Amino acid sequence: MTTCDSIVSQLTAYLDGELADDDGSAVRGHLRECAACRQLARDEAALRDALRVLPPVDPPATLWAGVQAQLAAAEVADARTPRWRRAIARWMPRFRAAWLPSMPQLAVAGLLAVAGVSALYWRTHRGDELATTDLPRLPMPEIQTPHREPAAAPAAALTTRSDDVTAELAAEPARVTGSYGEVIDELTRLAEEARGSWSDERKAAFDGRLAALAATVAQAQDGRPRQRAQRSMIRFLQGAVVRDEVVLASGGSR
Amino acid sequence: MEMLYHQYKRRVFGMAHRIVGVSDAEEVAQEVFVRVFRGLAAFRGDSQLSTWVYRLTVNAALSHLARRGRRREVGDDGLVDLPAAPPAERDSALAARIEAALSQLPAGYRAILVLHDVEGLSHEECAAILDCRIGTCKSQLHKARARMRELLGPDIAARVANLA
Repeated sequence: MTTCDSIVSQLTAYLDGELADDDGSAVRGHLRECAACRQLARDEAALRDALRVLPPVDPPATLWAGVQAQLAAAEVADARTPRWRRAIARWMPRFRAAWLPSMPQLAVAGLLAVAGVSALYWRTHRGDELATTDLPRLPMPEIQTPHREPAAAPAAALTTRSDDVTAELAAEPARVTGSYGEVIDELTRLAEEARGSWSDERKAAFDGRLAALAATVAQAQDGRPRQRAQRSMIRFLQGAVVRDEVVLASGGSR
Repeated sequence: MEMLYHQYKRRVFGMAHRIVGVSDAEEVAQEVFVRVFRGLAAFRGDSQLSTWVYRLTVNAALSHLARRGRRREVGDDGLVDLPAAPPAERDSALAARIEAALSQLPAGYRAILVLHDVEGLSHEECAAILDCRIGTCKSQLHKARARMRELLGPDIAARVANLA
């Protein structure tokens, strides 16, 4: 049995002549008997007819001039757009040329990518490189030793290989300081061996300078300041030892 | 190129006018013609030229509404529910009432009503233009007409007859 609800759902198709013969006949039959649905059908038909005869809307006279101006502007923009960007935009219409990055943007993106990869590589491999350059542990000298870092921290850093890269990086300053300390110890020992041939004046000057540098190392803050002071001390000791070797090799004396 | 413009100017501008309103219709129509002329060489001919132009028009108009309305509510069946600008005063009282009701519809309903009932396109053509199934088109048209009946009030036939 045809109900009002089913008529309402079929009304559009019925008025547009899209229903099969038997379905159309059933709708017509219901409309003959149901005044409410008949009124609804009249309203929809009147609406459809009114829409069909809506007067056309004339465009303003300025439309064509506006279109031409926009076309001209688009051509100028084309001329200023690199050919590769136009090609990408042509083959991938969804990516409009304006959205594509410029060469400087691509260069910056490339640099950032290289920096990111480098940082990642450094974080994962730097610990290994440092481990391969560790200096051998050297015996303690017998003479007065300048300040150096406690051996426990660098020793721990030298001997323990943690998989935790972050922990290794955090321990690196102490390890470097410890290594410098060992170099200073060794150079001091060599200098002590050589000082037998030095004059009293030179010994005094050497001891005074070494004590001053040791005091600087001791007072320096942990980390890079102390390492800088240690490097100064190493340069001084190297100079003393090498100068002595050169003098000995040349047969002279000081 | 100018011949093509004159051939489609009323249809394009009329569609734009009824979907986005009179204030933005010229801007949308300009955008459509620029796309038509710049894309003409790439037009593959797998649909009628008129269908392609209508499709560009509907897409440009709906995109314009979406930009203007900053993506408000999405209407039934995913159609954008955005109000058009108030229609211009027209000489005909009947046309004015219809246009006023039309402007209050969700944009998707406006599109299907204009394509099918105003422009007289078939459901197949409407489906191709709106990129949806024919059944969806029919369903949308049914809902759009029902909403128009609500907006125009009861006994439209008599009032339409009187106004006409």
